[in-house]
Amino acid sequence: MSEILIKNASVCDPAQRINCETMDICIKDGKIVESVSANAKVINAEGRLTMAGGFDGHTHSAGKINVGRFINPNDSRKNLVPGLSGQVARTEKTRAQVGYNTPNTYAIGYRYAKLGYTTICEAAIPLLAARHTHEEFKEIPILDKMGLSLFGSNWQVMEYIRDKEPEKLAAYVAWGLRASRGYGIKIVNPGGGEAWGWGKNVSGLYDPVPNFDVTPAEILMSLAEVNERLKLPHSVHVHCNNLGKPGNYATTIETMKLFEKVKPSRDRQALHVTHVQFNAYAGTSWRDFETGAPMVADYINGANHLTFDLGQIIFGPAVTMTADGPVEYANARMMHEKWSNQDIELEDASGVVPLFYSPKSFVNAVQWAIGLELALLVKDPWKVMFTTDSPNGGSFVNYPEAFTYLMSAKRREEVISGFSKMALDRMVLPGIDRELDFYELAIMTRSIQSKMYSRPEKGNLKPGSDADIAIYDILPGKIDPSTEYEKMKKAFSGAAYTLKDGEIVVKDGEIEATPKGKIYWVNAKVPSAIDSAMQKDIDVKFRKYYTVSKANYMVEDVYLQKPVEITTEGVF
Amino acid sequence: MQIVKLSLKEANKIPIEADNINPDNFAGKTEEDIKTIPVWYGNGQYPLGDFFNVKVEGSDSVENVKLVFEGDVARVKRIGQNMSAGEIEINGNVDMHCGFGMKGGKIIINGDADSWLGCEMTGGEIILNGNASYYVGSGYRGEACGMRGGKITVNGNARDYLGEHMCGGEILVKGNVGLLPAISNNGGKIIIEGNATMPANEMKNGMVIIKGEVSDLLPSYKEEGTEEIEGTVYRKLVGDVNVGGKGVLLIR
Amino acid sequence: MPVIKDAVCSLCGSLCDDITVTVENNKITKIENACILGHSKFVGMLEHDRIETPMIRKNGELIPVSYEEAIEAAAKILVNSKRTLSYGWCSTSCEAVSGAIQLAEETGSVIDSTANVCHGPTALAAQEKGSPSATLGEIKNRADVIIFWGCNPVHAHPRHMVRYSSFSKGLFTEKGRKGRKMIVIDVRRTDTAKLSDKYVEIEQGSDLLLVTALRSIVNGHEDVIPETVAGVPKAEVIELAETLMNAKFVCIFFGMGVTQSRSKYKNGDAMSSLISDLNQHTKAVMIGMRGHYNVTGFGQVATWETGFPMAIDFARGYPYYNPGETGANDILVREEPDAAIIAAADPGAHFPQKAVRHLAKIPVIQIDPYPNPTTEIADVVIPAAVVGIEAEGTAYRMDAISLRMKKLIDSKFKTDEEIVKDLTAKVRELKRGA
Repeated sequence: MSEILIKNASVCDPAQRINCETMDICIKDGKIVESVSANAKVINAEGRLTMAGGFDGHTHSAGKINVGRFINPNDSRKNLVPGLSGQVARTEKTRAQVGYNTPNTYAIGYRYAKLGYTTICEAAIPLLAARHTHEEFKEIPILDKMGLSLFGSNWQVMEYIRDKEPEKLAAYVAWGLRASRGYGIKIVNPGGGEAWGWGKNVSGLYDPVPNFDVTPAEILMSLAEVNERLKLPHSVHVHCNNLGKPGNYATTIETMKLFEKVKPSRDRQALHVTHVQFNAYAGTSWRDFETGAPMVADYINGANHLTFDLGQIIFGPAVTMTADGPVEYANARMMHEKWSNQDIELEDASGVVPLFYSPKSFVNAVQWAIGLELALLVKDPWKVMFTTDSPNGGSFVNYPEAFTYLMSAKRREEVISGFSKMALDRMVLPGIDRELDFYELAIMTRSIQSKMYSRPEKGNLKPGSDADIAIYDILPGKIDPSTEYEKMKKAFSGAAYTLKDGEIVVKDGEIEATPKGKIYWVNAKVPSAIDSAMQKDIDVKFRKYYTVSKANYMVEDVYLQKPVEITTEGVF
Repeated sequence: MQIVKLSLKEANKIPIEADNINPDNFAGKTEEDIKTIPVWYGNGQYPLGDFFNVKVEGSDSVENVKLVFEGDVARVKRIGQNMSAGEIEINGNVDMHCGFGMKGGKIIINGDADSWLGCEMTGGEIILNGNASYYVGSGYRGEACGMRGGKITVNGNARDYLGEHMCGGEILVKGNVGLLPAISNNGGKIIIEGNATMPANEMKNGMVIIKGEVSDLLPSYKEEGTEEIEGTVYRKLVGDVNVGGKGVLLIR
Repeated sequence: MPVIKDAVCSLCGSLCDDITVTVENNKITKIENACILGHSKFVGMLEHDRIETPMIRKNGELIPVSYEEAIEAAAKILVNSKRTLSYGWCSTSCEAVSGAIQLAEETGSVIDSTANVCHGPTALAAQEKGSPSATLGEIKNRADVIIFWGCNPVHAHPRHMVRYSSFSKGLFTEKGRKGRKMIVIDVRRTDTAKLSDKYVEIEQGSDLLLVTALRSIVNGHEDVIPETVAGVPKAEVIELAETLMNAKFVCIFFGMGVTQSRSKYKNGDAMSSLISDLNQHTKAVMIGMRGHYNVTGFGQVATWETGFPMAIDFARGYPYYNPGETGANDILVREEPDAAIIAAADPGAHFPQKAVRHLAKIPVIQIDPYPNPTTEIADVVIPAAVVGIEAEGTAYRMDAISLRMKKLIDSKFKTDEEIVKDLTAKVRELKRGA
């Protein structure tokens, strides 16, 4: 029985509406409790900012990122955020580390922990390649992990939608989550992955998918129906059509509107729209490209059925990686960059392209502004999850830098002062003076994730929750984030303490211990008759079209490190 | 003026990694200081004095520092890495990555150089009085830009991939080169006085002059008349068409 | 009588996963669905000589010892070394690879895979241009034009054409072979070429010239093509380019004829660019025909654990990568290593003379189920179970899809994974003692 008492913590825990109040936190056997005995080990927080462990709800940290590493050996030596990047020799406690945008697995675990983050959600697991994702999960130390499984261009999904078989569709999705040990439904450019099988794309919500006679809108609505029927802990997680194209804000709002009629089966959003920065573009071409954030934010302010994340960009090198195959090909051609592609039979596409965001490029400058505009124009922080879509918009190690943008108008002005007149004309950011406080930042980086993913034991400091805790070297009330942003950035870059399940994993910004994290996956129960009928259909798929057998498709238990099975009962 | 003379106590097979051996790091230092500078040897770090005899004459700032290697350093890598000024003279063969990332100053090698000579250099000069191996003036694996500035003169021959991804600066080779010189380059100038095979593949920008024979010219260049340089008329080829290149390749 | 279905064949990079194996009294008595090569691995294992016991060389002779003694002797070699080469690891499981990487990290070694002598250039090419690829099922279901370039699957990957490519049938390829155009590009008329619709014979080492010419045509610069390229008449090159551009879905499978010919990785580099250019007109992808069943797996594991797919030098405690400098052959030819650990590979037979001569001079630890020429120069020999038959574990198919190999029969031998774990523990113990 291990007990810890954190004394004099300045606790910021929006889930309990606690806003930087000095209090003690008791920990027993990895959980937060009401009280501990006098034998508890004492950590004196000395009034420092204390939050639940951070939770990155959308990151590319296992699976496709390996392609990024593979094609960019030059990333290994990039040390743009000292302490959180570059080559680091092994120590008695830690494995060797390399990289910046595409660090090795060990570095991912250590560096998130140093930022005070303790849970991540991998944004895209191809069902057929899920084993690979879990192999990488096993080698990411410290963090708890979950991943979202791709269903948006899947043949069986599209056929069941076309043939109006909603129950079998639900059974298939439940099976797919089981096969891939996934946590939820990810939809990337619905239908676009299949079109990319022929080198094409879909142009919007009502453009039918070649050969399958369904539209992206139907895919979205049918999977949303399945999601609620199965009572999945997360909503559908959508990467909209037309990502990266000027004028796409209209598609994004249209997609959001579609979901107004979806009734969530649990106390959470009906829709999560991801990396909206890439989907909030106005204009008709790159010449008249401008921000579409005000329109998107306006809509979101009037809606209460959705959450979204930013996909904030960070200036400098990044590596884009997405199941949106056609977008990556277009990126590579436009920027004369390396292009990797991996289409997954019967299921989806994917691509990886490195790129560079420059403040001198007016397009990049406007993209940078759009992410922040979305965060600041949407009034309710409980709708906003902070992400850089790491490493698409930039590596997660830049989160502390991005926090300064959100919390300091002065810091934003400093960056904006380097932009061209043309860029300034295409954004609204200079007119926004809102500055987030620690409470709002905590919502966007840990509290909303707890609600979004129905993980009540995460992202808060309530008794009973996991003792995943970050203490930062910041004295709330005695620091002015608006002007002392350098100090703030430093504190967020290396937590004074990070605790994972009650164990000190980071102290004074350095790794103390490297326990193994848990893997969350969802087992949605489906009536056996429906399941059997569905199995017959996929048996045909395996016999005729897949190149692996069904028995070898399922991710075996041996790949799951400390698995936590979340069961749900579907409504049929 | 500060002259630092270095000679190996005995020949080594496991390479010594000498990224700390450059004028910047030696300027103003005594013999004893220099002997304690750590170098990598296999999987361990040892003081430089374990491997080298060190003699120091005078003490001066970096631009007036000259390092002289007496004899072969064919297993000493990264000599002159990132140097900004001063001079290095190597009287013998030198190992890989000599002058890596060099910003200024001068390296003279009286012997042969192993691969990656002047890799990613941005300024200064390297004169090689011998033969070079692979990847003269190139970049690290996966990088889009190799050499960006400065000059490399190879008075002997060079092997394959000379000036790969070169973005600026100048390379002059008096002898022959191997396969694919100037591949994927995007600026700078390469002059090859001897022969070359498959030159300037995917050149985006820059100038390549080959005075000797060219074998296997790649089918991705447009012939645009001739150009005369110092009394010699060259066929002028422009490309590489497959990358929309504006590079100029002059051959006889 | 246990019948094991859907077993994964651990022979080549096709990793066929539909093998039925009958086991009687811990012996494999029947194999169904495997090709002749796979069959001989499953069955031949019993006929093949095994390394029967751990051995240590004393006075020039290999003397039988216990696993414990062999592990201790091996660990001593490693802790006393300043520059160990750890090589092979492609005919074993990803789990063993992971252990080997950790051991290399802790001993400051160089670790490299057999890609060093086969598809290493494929990685270098991807690092220049990326890797525009797809899983094999995409080819099965969609491809109407398939090129085999510098590879000979009839002999090297016998079931490839039936399961994944030329003869396979899928949703949009119901006619199978009849609905497809199969093209072979090679320097000699191979048995695969004999099955093709079109065979293009090129001059040795001229792959890059042909790829570049195809690119020029695809990009609309037919005018710059000379009358013959790579020994192929211009008209034929144009016809080939048009076949590709007019296809619905093109896949180029390439082999060591491409990666190991004159301009090595620049061939694959240019081929990636050709694929990218072709996608302006149609859909095109490329897939390397990887040989050893898990050479792809080594690359995957090494990449997520170290950032690099091969040729990783841990001398400074962090990984450094630079093929040409840190590859197995690079350092052997320069006589750098003072010790070597060779697992599931045979440099004794496959490396250049100079490299082998150096290996013979230094202490060598061999981990392998079978004796081979490397055994002749090994100082410590540690026998291992055969992965995919006597041991389970993960392997990656040539298209980077991972599969779990089953354990089919029991074995008295330790697995590679166990041996590496024991060795690492012993190295730690010796280091602590010192």
